[in-house]
Amino acid sequence: MIGIGEYHVGSTPMMAIGLGSCIGLTIYDRERKIGAMVHIMLPESSGRIDRPGKYADSAIPLLLKKLTDLGCRKEALVVKMAGGACMFEYFGNNLNIGERNAEKVRAVLAENNIRLAAEEVGGKIGRTVAFYPDNGGKVTVRSADGAAHEI
Amino acid sequence: MKLSATQMDAMQELGNIGAAHAATTLSQMVSSPVEMSVPKIKVVDIAQLADHIGEESAALVVFELQGEIAHGGYILFYISRKSAVHLTNSMLGLTDPDRALNEMDESALLEVGNIMASAFLDATAELLGFVMLPSPPALTVDMAHAAVQSLIAQMQDEVNEIVLFSTELVCEEHKIDSDIIMMPEASMLATFVERLENLMKSS
Repeated sequence: MIGIGEYHVGSTPMMAIGLGSCIGLTIYDRERKIGAMVHIMLPESSGRIDRPGKYADSAIPLLLKKLTDLGCRKEALVVKMAGGACMFEYFGNNLNIGERNAEKVRAVLAENNIRLAAEEVGGKIGRTVAFYPDNGGKVTVRSADGAAHEI
Repeated sequence: MKLSATQMDAMQELGNIGAAHAATTLSQMVSSPVEMSVPKIKVVDIAQLADHIGEESAALVVFELQGEIAHGGYILFYISRKSAVHLTNSMLGLTDPDRALNEMDESALLEVGNIMASAFLDATAELLGFVMLPSPPALTVDMAHAAVQSLIAQMQDEVNEIVLFSTELVCEEHKIDSDIIMMPEASMLATFVERLENLMKSS
């Protein structure tokens, strides 16, 4: 279980529950069968360094470094994301954090020349994301009605 | 922000007064007695939010705390999906406990939340001697964690810990289990503590 702002690197299943505007980002190495997952809350760290997993701009470089340190090649990485919803229209008027999170993830990946293989973001729904590095890097998304599907 | 034992007691009393008024209004709306738990004050690291508010499907009516402090945090009326149906059934004179929530239910939930949040804030504001008003309400019926997480993400102060004041309100007769939760910003919490300390000194 990966809480808000936390991340994990390894080969065992990982899960981030109840993502609203947060993003669950997964990176899977097809060659080494390991992966990383992070539960991002905000787009920019603005210089804060205490919880790098909390922000898109610090989380992604950190995970890429952790994986390349383990010998992963960038070309073998499969990146997916889910979340980035807007749960409250009224409160979200001028700061759609979910959308900004998703945009920042795309931008930071582009800066690192990494393609986003799949995404399921936006809307007004909560999502629970599960990641299985031990099962081909499968990523499933489940919503409040209980229906889970692979992305 | 760290609270001393005395400050915790004072905050608990504040929650008690607010929740008691909210419980009374709920009881009037469902025309049945409502039991209230002792208010709990929890300081929660955001990484552990899921231990306190899970992915279960719930209706949340949410208000921003406004007034003398413009962005004081949030007050939430939290009710499981099942209880929400029981609640609106009792208000609308319906009986099917397994039906889906429709627009009429949503209006009813907004109304209940509105009345309860107002009662809670009126009572606490009167005690503290400063104006606290609820914003217009917003409603979501979805994973509870997703809703609360989204509120934390848009708080004014960048935080790694939040303070949750929660009181459980239960109506046995209609099988309604709900919570009223206040999640203040650090600035609001500091004001609460300061005002409460002044009150204790003067009494």
